[in-house]
Amino acid sequence: MAMLKTILGNLLRPSRTRAPADMPVVPPTYRGALTHDAGRCTACGTCAFVCAPKAIHFTQDPGISVSWHFFIGQCSFCGLCEQNCPTRAIHLRADVPGSTNSAGGDGLRLESVIHLQPCTRCGAAHVPLPAATMDALWAAGADEAERGYCPDCRRWAASARLRTAFTPDGAVAEGGRHDR
Amino acid sequence: MNLIERVIAISRRRSPWICRLNAGSCNGCDIEITPLLSPRYDAEQLGIELHGTPKHADIVLISGTLTLRSRQAILDIYDQVPNPKAVVALGSCPSSGNVFAGSPLVLSCSLDTVVPVDVWVPGCPPRPQAILDGIARAAKLLEDGATKSQLAKSRLAGSQPESRCGRPS
Ligand code: SF4
Ligand code: SF4
Ligand code: SF4
Repeated sequence: MAMLKTILGNLLRPSRTRAPADMPVVPPTYRGALTHDAGRCTACGTCAFVCAPKAIHFTQDPGISVSWHFFIGQCSFCGLCEQNCPTRAIHLRADVPGSTNSAGGDGLRLESVIHLQPCTRCGAAHVPLPAATMDALWAAGADEAERGYCPDCRRWAASARLRTAFTPDGAVAEGGRHDR
Repeated sequence: MNLIERVIAISRRRSPWICRLNAGSCNGCDIEITPLLSPRYDAEQLGIELHGTPKHADIVLISGTLTLRSRQAILDIYDQVPNPKAVVALGSCPSSGNVFAGSPLVLSCSLDTVVPVDVWVPGCPPRPQAILDGIARAAKLLEDGATKSQLAKSRLAGSQPESRCGRPS
């Protein structure tokens, strides 16, 4: 009887099983189209280092910006870049990247530009820390002025704090500029 | 375009026959074609039918890394596909070599340097619905007479692209 029911059911159903728009749902953990948030990226290069097919590379415009480049035609969607990005700037969204007609998949190259900022102390151009990282670093009420420092000046400031702790009167000689 | 040609063009879109060419794939992309033909993704609702021989095909799906040996095979099989024809490249391998790029026997270059590619489907492997979308796009191009081989033919600019991809240095 069950078989008859199945046959009858099959006869009454339309010939197609799914309309093109009605496709099986993509699982939420699917690693699809990649997005990059320039505002969170520190241009540390970890993503390019872990990417086996070398889908990510950087170019520089010295003193002005660093560009993060991604070519989807070289990506194996392993998700290692997302896993290893310390600032969570990369995210592989759960949607299926669309096909393209352009040569070599050129329409699927991503570029995001990270603008350099001058250091508020020494003026050297550097990649600013993402706002979230700054909040985490300076939440403890350390010197707000350090927010705009380049990495070298941050190091200088940290060692200056250390030196103050050792000198009895708390005075620290203004060391001027660090060596570059 | 007269009425008969128009009807032929529409039928081309409504019933594209495909053939599959594994140019050195890891089999991931080919495995994604199987569910595409199954009722779950149901490619036949678009009139897509898989054929074993390139001589019956309108659209060639090429998957996988291009290798020194598969290069000639791709050219031979592409020549056997009757005009008009479209090529759909599946996955990352044909566009760059993916993780295999730089291996001694792998041509680390785009499939475009071997045969004219009309649609690139990104993914590694692409999801079946992405492949279905790619085939539908290629079928539309066939109807419009806008595939690269059709355009080259109408321009009479040499049907075979000059192959620029040699042995990687
Ligand atoms: S995206 Fe992430 S891992 Fe890549 S350079 Fe930027 S911060 Fe580093
Ligand atoms: S997902 Fe994997 S292959 Fe793609 S860019 Fe990230 S690390 Fe590279
Ligand atoms: S694109 Fe990915 S799944 Fe497809 S053949 Fe290449 S490595 Fe395999």
